Amino acid sequence: MKPAPFAYDAPGTLAEALALLAAEGEDVKPLAGGQSLVPLLNFRLARPDRLVDLNRVEELAYLRRDGDVLRIGALARTRALERSPDVAAGWPLLADAARLVGHPQIRARGTVCGSVAHADPAAELPAALAALDARFHVRSARGARTLSSRELFVSYFTTALEPDELLVEIEVPSLPPRTGAAFVEHARTHGDFALGGAAAVVSLDGSGLCEQARLALVAAGAVPLRAADAERLLAGSRPDARAVEAAADAAVRGLHLGGEDAWRRALLRETARQALERAAARSAA
Amino acid sequence: MPRREDARFLRGEATYLDDIELPGLLEVAFVRSPFAHARVGAIDTAAASAVPGVAAVLTGADLEGRARPLPTGSVEDGVVADAGHPVLARGKVRYAGEPVAIVVARSRALAEDAAELVEVEYDPLEPVLDPRTAGGAPLLHDHVPGNVLVSWARTSGDVEGAFSRADRVVAQSFHIPRLVAAPIEARGAIARHEVREDVLTVWCSAQDPHRPLAQLGAALDRDPDRLRVVVPDVGGAFGSKGAVGVEVAAVAAAAVELGLPLRWTEDRAENFLSAYQGRGLDADVELALAVDGRILGLRAVLYADLGGYLYPTTAVAPHTTAMLLTGAYAIPAAAVQVIGAATTKVPTGPYRGAGRPEAAFLVERMVDLAARDLGLEPVELRRRNFVPPEAFPYETPMGWTYDSGDFERCLDTALELVGLDRWRAERERARAEGRLVGIGIGMYIERAGGLWESAEARLEPDGRLLVRTGSSPHGQGHETTFAQIAAEELGIDPAAVEVRWGDSLAGPAGVGTFASRSVAMGGSALVVALRELKERAAGAGVGVLELAASEGGLEVSARFGSGLVFASGAYVAVVEVRRATGRLEVLHLAAVDDSGRIVNPLLAEGQVLGATVQGLGQCLVEEAVHDEEGQLTTANFADYSLLTAAELPPIESRFVETLSPLNPLGAKGIGEGGAIATPAAVANAVADALAPIGVRHVDPPFTEPKLWRLLREAGA
Repeated sequence: MKPAPFAYDAPGTLAEALALLAAEGEDVKPLAGGQSLVPLLNFRLARPDRLVDLNRVEELAYLRRDGDVLRIGALARTRALERSPDVAAGWPLLADAARLVGHPQIRARGTVCGSVAHADPAAELPAALAALDARFHVRSARGARTLSSRELFVSYFTTALEPDELLVEIEVPSLPPRTGAAFVEHARTHGDFALGGAAAVVSLDGSGLCEQARLALVAAGAVPLRAADAERLLAGSRPDARAVEAAADAAVRGLHLGGEDAWRRALLRETARQALERAAARSAA
Repeated sequence: MPRREDARFLRGEATYLDDIELPGLLEVAFVRSPFAHARVGAIDTAAASAVPGVAAVLTGADLEGRARPLPTGSVEDGVVADAGHPVLARGKVRYAGEPVAIVVARSRALAEDAAELVEVEYDPLEPVLDPRTAGGAPLLHDHVPGNVLVSWARTSGDVEGAFSRADRVVAQSFHIPRLVAAPIEARGAIARHEVREDVLTVWCSAQDPHRPLAQLGAALDRDPDRLRVVVPDVGGAFGSKGAVGVEVAAVAAAAVELGLPLRWTEDRAENFLSAYQGRGLDADVELALAVDGRILGLRAVLYADLGGYLYPTTAVAPHTTAMLLTGAYAIPAAAVQVIGAATTKVPTGPYRGAGRPEAAFLVERMVDLAARDLGLEPVELRRRNFVPPEAFPYETPMGWTYDSGDFERCLDTALELVGLDRWRAERERARAEGRLVGIGIGMYIERAGGLWESAEARLEPDGRLLVRTGSSPHGQGHETTFAQIAAEELGIDPAAVEVRWGDSLAGPAGVGTFASRSVAMGGSALVVALRELKERAAGAGVGVLELAASEGGLEVSARFGSGLVFASGAYVAVVEVRRATGRLEVLHLAAVDDSGRIVNPLLAEGQVLGATVQGLGQCLVEEAVHDEEGQLTTANFADYSLLTAAELPPIESRFVETLSPLNPLGAKGIGEGGAIATPAAVANAVADALAPIGVRHVDPPFTEPKLWRLLREAGA
């Protein structure tokens, strides 16, 4: 299928891009990697009047460690996240999640910010970033604001971004010492969309007890959900097999899942259990 | 010998249909029915035709008198309804996605824009989805009572007596879902009408030029010498390009009607919706057995989910299933009935295996169920019933004659290859731990070859050989295999052999590439031709190269025909069902194929692997699903999964060669065995794995939710 007709601009600066996004009376969409948007265009499920191609906006093309935070610019490709030595050293969860995004060809073009803005609850990066308490910097011609993942992700394929706003940077805080993280996903085939998954971050105190547990679920509802009950259960406990099982049970209780509800719940529980188990093991290592 | 055609494929130097450039070529898109079943009223094309860049919009009414429905094909001793696929819908649509109008424009994007503006009045009717109950459902075709598009039955031997005498009767119902062939290159065609000579040339991504030639000739009422079909490089087909898509006929008719060269490049969305699907069978099967495990008789009713129309090849698969239902076993009496039901879905057609996988699945599951009921080992029950080697040529109750084979040897080879004793021990260990591990056998019979093929050869004075073959590859590597056959026959270097095919005007007539027949038939035709050259030379008392040099070149053509040949084999699968998620893991797959003489072991093994992966796909993830409105819900690769290289289990392949007495190569056919036997072996392994928790039978695909639910229901 071919897209419905659209106008096309390729600005060279962020200011130009934001001005184009602010145009009145037109449905304008930004284009970065296009790995989610272009299939929607081809299926004619999305019919914007205008595409603003960001790929020439050099000032958005960065992935860097800045002090002890990671800054992911709007044009940072998923592949860069997968291969960056800084990410591998400081935020290995992101590299693990990135590795599971589609296939290499998709990762080469697709952007991290694009995946977040697309807000598919079955995507890997939104959940991994939610588990890391990432902050999302948004710009428009009107100004700037910063959102948490809870504020950003509103529903299926829906963020809090206004039509004239652009997600320009994701800021990921550093991890405390004695922290381990793991990303586990279950898909029908390699590279397929996740049917269930979990991003777990476990931080221990000096005596081997869990000081903080963070667990974000993939394909568990309308948004990448932080499993608050599970997190509370683990905090202050030794993250042994029994505690992890209990936390996994708590993580899937009360979830509203679609078809094959019971099986999806079992699947999510199993991925949550595995992610917490591995994260706990890595935190002690 | 590695494939010589790969160099151009890997370098992007192949010429696929979409690479062909012609001056003034326009692009085409189709308006397709959104309903599975509806009456079609007025079609308003005014707005669409007015879009700048649009050359024309044609409907079924515009093609009245210019195009007839595609021919329906026939089935030996069967009744086939007059329900060919109309080139564009007339009065009714019978599947969602059926072409209703064709839009011709400067670009595909423009054609799609204009297609959206075509207004069609639909009066929706009730969908008909289940072949078992289609008989009582609203008629798809007023002149086809009971929605029976194909009907066939055969009884042989004293079936009633067998069942009344039996010590045990085993009965089971089965559902084999439809599949999407999903070749990497979708379908397509270019049509150009030379007005002066009144020749219509159609370039077609097809399995061979011969069947498109015949089918388009019939649909357009055009003499064969006014029609030329050229097949370029083809990116796979798996059976789905054997009959021309009805869109090809529409493009060809429109090209003549409008006097414009037109191209249709099918995209993936269309391919899912409108390329004919594979499989789709419900069955009730019974076996009558003696207490010692001998099978006394077989009874079966097969309900085929055929779709809204009959493509030329739609009737083939269910008929083949019926004919092969006695499998590798000497069953003395059998009664099989085929009810090919019309349903409001895209038609079905041959897809890698084409009826044989269904037969293998049914008979092999029945044998395992019988073994379970009788308390016999599945291996032992098979041994007691195999057609023995001394019985060949063996005529089955259904009436086909197996030319040669050694089924027990295939099974023994497969059991050794998989390491049965080791896996049996592992299974016991696993069961003691509460893990669900199973071992399953799948025997198969593949009817192949048959009809005829032809070859032309020219031996140049300098020793180069040009071969024109009626056989046409679409990924099989014929260029390599046929060069090998020729080189071996004449004692020359394969590099001196050039193989050409694909142009109905420039090559010999033929039947086509399907049913794994190209080496057995096309290869044999080549052998016959070259042997004639050798005889000519021997008659002159010289070598064939000398004769070519002294005569300024030699030319020969030959046709070879034979009855059907029958490949066979035994596959063994070992699986584990994971309790936590219901995931099916295939731990090991041993594939033993008897395809007669193997010409190129590398290519043959490639065929086994490719076919096996498709067979595994059918077991693990693939299923074409329609909702209650008749809409295909698995209409893209996000929803219809294909296995990737990352999912492959360890697969081991070995060949047993019982030569066919029916052709000079002794060859049978290797293209489809993996797709035929793998589902049977895996299904039996799954049943074995779940036996300890009391599950008797599971239909494919063995998806996680399905197995997990079974485990839960069994209280596991």
